[in-house]
Amino acid sequence: MTTVPARPPLARSSDRVIAGVCSGLAVHLGWPVKNVRVGMALATLAGGAGLVFYAWLWIMVPTADEAARRNARRPASPIAPAVSQAPAAAVSGTSPASPPAPQPGPVPFGQAPLSQPPLRQASDDDASLGADRPGTSGSPRPAEAPWFRWQSMKYGKEILLGCGLLLVAGIMIAQLLGVDVPLGTLIPAAAVLGGASIAWMQLDETRRAGLVDKTKADQAGGWARLAAGLALVVAGVLVMVSGSGSWEQTWLALLASVAVLGGVVLVLLPWALKFWRDLETERAGRIRETERAEIAAHLHDSVLQTLALIQRRAGSEHDVVRLARAQERELRGWLFQDPGREAGQLSDRIKAVAAEVEDLLGNAVEVVSVGDAAMTEGHEAMVQASREAMLNASRHGGGAVSVYLEASDGQAEIFIKDRGPGFELADVPEDRLGVRESIIGRMKRHGGSAAILSTGDGTEVRLRLPAASTDNVEGKS
Amino acid sequence: MIVTQGAAAQAAGTVRVVIVDDHAIFRSGLKADLDASIHVVGEAATVEQAIAVIAEQRPDVVLLDVHLPGGLGGGGREVIAGSVPLLGTTRFLALSVSDAAEDVVAVIRAGARGYVTKTISGAEITDAVFRVAGGDAVFSPRLAGFVLDAFGTAPADIADDELDKLSARELEVMRLIARGYSYKEVAKELFISIKTVETHVSAVLRKLQLSSRHELTKWAAERRLL
Repeated sequence: MTTVPARPPLARSSDRVIAGVCSGLAVHLGWPVKNVRVGMALATLAGGAGLVFYAWLWIMVPTADEAARRNARRPASPIAPAVSQAPAAAVSGTSPASPPAPQPGPVPFGQAPLSQPPLRQASDDDASLGADRPGTSGSPRPAEAPWFRWQSMKYGKEILLGCGLLLVAGIMIAQLLGVDVPLGTLIPAAAVLGGASIAWMQLDETRRAGLVDKTKADQAGGWARLAAGLALVVAGVLVMVSGSGSWEQTWLALLASVAVLGGVVLVLLPWALKFWRDLETERAGRIRETERAEIAAHLHDSVLQTLALIQRRAGSEHDVVRLARAQERELRGWLFQDPGREAGQLSDRIKAVAAEVEDLLGNAVEVVSVGDAAMTEGHEAMVQASREAMLNASRHGGGAVSVYLEASDGQAEIFIKDRGPGFELADVPEDRLGVRESIIGRMKRHGGSAAILSTGDGTEVRLRLPAASTDNVEGKS
Repeated sequence: MIVTQGAAAQAAGTVRVVIVDDHAIFRSGLKADLDASIHVVGEAATVEQAIAVIAEQRPDVVLLDVHLPGGLGGGGREVIAGSVPLLGTTRFLALSVSDAAEDVVAVIRAGARGYVTKTISGAEITDAVFRVAGGDAVFSPRLAGFVLDAFGTAPADIADDELDKLSARELEVMRLIARGYSYKEVAKELFISIKTVETHVSAVLRKLQLSSRHELTKWAAERRLL
């Protein structure tokens, strides 16, 4: 919010006599502490209002420490915006008067406790929802200051409620002072106004929700609010129209109005239903459109780019195959991968390593996995060993490589098979560490085992890691 | 999979095949890849076309894409369901780009005799066609992996319902296929004949098709990727 230099947030100060409420309030309002304290004391004399107000602030307002902690989470104080709203209105050209919002200052007697709920609500709602609450504007309440009508306000609801309560308090005071207030007219009028505003607020929110997204739970609350508003308006109108007339008359009027309403509903229902259906269709269409756009964007970024690359590399079969495989992997991941599924399991690592080898050497590496296990240090060694085996298989086998992973509670096994010409382990020179160190030695160090079976039809590397030994290794290191 | 052609089909000489796939490019590519001894007698691009062509041609083997337009949206599964009277003589081999277990299990349970991915080579698909024509099942490593995952890797006790578990021998065969072994290599590894391997694989296929094991469908539906 762009307002006048922000008020310090309302927080109980550590400079205190009782609970630091007065000094906190003084800092917040920018008034001398003494004035606030005297005002509070005077208000206390007025029927104990000051006392109640003090106690209420004591309970609801956080200490400076707590406020600081809360502010670390959220940018602004929950209360400051509500109060600094009024100056914003003043800046934009209306009355430069003092804040019309519930004003915790010296107030007429009997009013302070009444005017509190809005303030409390502001802090409550904000703590739970975060400060982003769009305005509930436009409720026609002629009794209030005119700027309410056009000002789309963040805390409109609270201020509205506060003004309503102030009004009630004013009426009560007037009555106490002996002014004859026509309650018989005022109450129904207020009911009509209240009901109408509830219903209109509902409409405003529905429109907003319709533009964004809407959940069913929201709708239920909406209907309840609509019904409440309707009931209030009907009751108010009835009472107003019938005056203090007999119940009989009232019933008749009620019956007549319900009949008229029923007739109107009957006539308008098909039209309303059609309208509603059109709206739903349009909304569904919009959702589909959004999804389509997202898919198109993804395909453009991935598949189309790859296809362009493939066309440019059409001469090299190796490159084409490699690009196609990489794109296939990416697309599969996007289409079928469950985003809620946790990554980082053994099978994910093996698949990642296989993809890497595929990219590096261009031969397909097919992974089939059964079961899964959480990664441990031993498993990491196993992944590295199988990476080495896949590299060898792809490099020397010269064709597709089959990888099979089977993980259960007891053990994990990985088999890497190629269809190359095969080799004799004994023929591998002593200084070549690939097989001996990176595969066999590594598995042994982590309590597992590795076997290499090579014939003229191909080679298979078998890695095995018992689950128990994994724990041992972990314990040692 | 290795190129050892099903004996029974080879004895019969040629195999008559219908290709069902909604992509014309893929159909023509597949036709070019197939061996000369395989006669493509029909093609279809939708569920309705497929059922009509199969009923008219009564081929030995149908190469069936899992995802097809038309019908009630059931794809390849629906084609098999629509050709039930022919299941005794016509065999279905499912082809798909999809790795989703749901698709695989659904089409196998509908009655397909095998499942291979579309990246398979011409020699391999030819071999698979002959194998299916000969009444055997064709398991790719990935399908074997699905089976192991669905049925669990522990062998059946005698007390268990035999449809719900794999025997120790069937497990061994499935494991070797998942590891990329051909039937011949499996036979060699386990010191059994190829015919016995084929018997085991067919038994597993039957279990996959008939098992009422409630986990199987649920498992497949939950399994988003493998």
